[in-house]
Amino acid sequence: MSVPYLRGAVKDGDSEKLIRFVRLHLGDGNENVGRKEIDKSWTEALKILLHDQEPDCDFIEQTMQKDSSTLALLYFRLHFYFIRNSGEWIHDGSR
Amino acid sequence: MAAANLHSSKTTESLVDPRESGTQLRPGLWQTINERYPGSMITKSEFIPLARLAKALKDSTVCLISSCGVHLKRDRPMEVAHPLGDFSFRRVPSDAWQPDLIIHQLKYPHDDADLDINVIFPIERLQDLAAEGVIGGLTRNFFSFIGYNMDPERFEATVAEDIACAVDEEERADVALLAPA
Repeated sequence: MSVPYLRGAVKDGDSEKLIRFVRLHLGDGNENVGRKEIDKSWTEALKILLHDQEPDCDFIEQTMQKDSSTLALLYFRLHFYFIRNSGEWIHDGSR
Repeated sequence: MAAANLHSSKTTESLVDPRESGTQLRPGLWQTINERYPGSMITKSEFIPLARLAKALKDSTVCLISSCGVHLKRDRPMEVAHPLGDFSFRRVPSDAWQPDLIIHQLKYPHDDADLDINVIFPIERLQDLAAEGVIGGLTRNFFSFIGYNMDPERFEATVAEDIACAVDEEERADVALLAPA
């Protein structure tokens, strides 16, 4: 999906196209895998918070002051961080 | 892989659509990718023709350019999480060896290349060819970037142009070896 294709979807309010793209991106070209990967990253984050370790809320507050573009990329970075953290890493370059 | 001579006039001409001729794309690849990523494949009506060698290969300085995402371990990793792609590239010293390098990519299996990086980035084979005198020599640096990209126009205007300029003006390459991953 090219950027013009995605921008067209934004302009048309066609969220299904955008959702499909996100799932394909996160699932290495497989929508079903992408859907599972998204769920997995959220549950991994939840599991970590259940450890009762105190988070660095000052750091989070400072980070949240960054521009939205940086935060959006950080969101994708965090997804991959949690997926890797889960131990079920499909993006390790193996078949 | 494709080889392109760099010191040639940049004239363009209309060529037969490679999707029809099958000369530049594996049969069926276009359909497969469009099925998984609708709208991701670009169409060009004009191509810059591959130039003939201006001098013998044994006298030519060769540069390697690859979309495999290989870089020095000490360099900043490629931005693999960005959903639209990474618009940067890395210079890889042509005298680097496999232990110096890492593959930073999410979009293709590289377990074989982790064992022998030359299967996608034939840096040591080119060093061998230069040592044997089969080619004249190597440029100081090779170039690597991530092939996954959703904005081919921006990519062409930035990464592709910057690499082309560096290969031609800084590295003074006679031949560029293009290796997709």
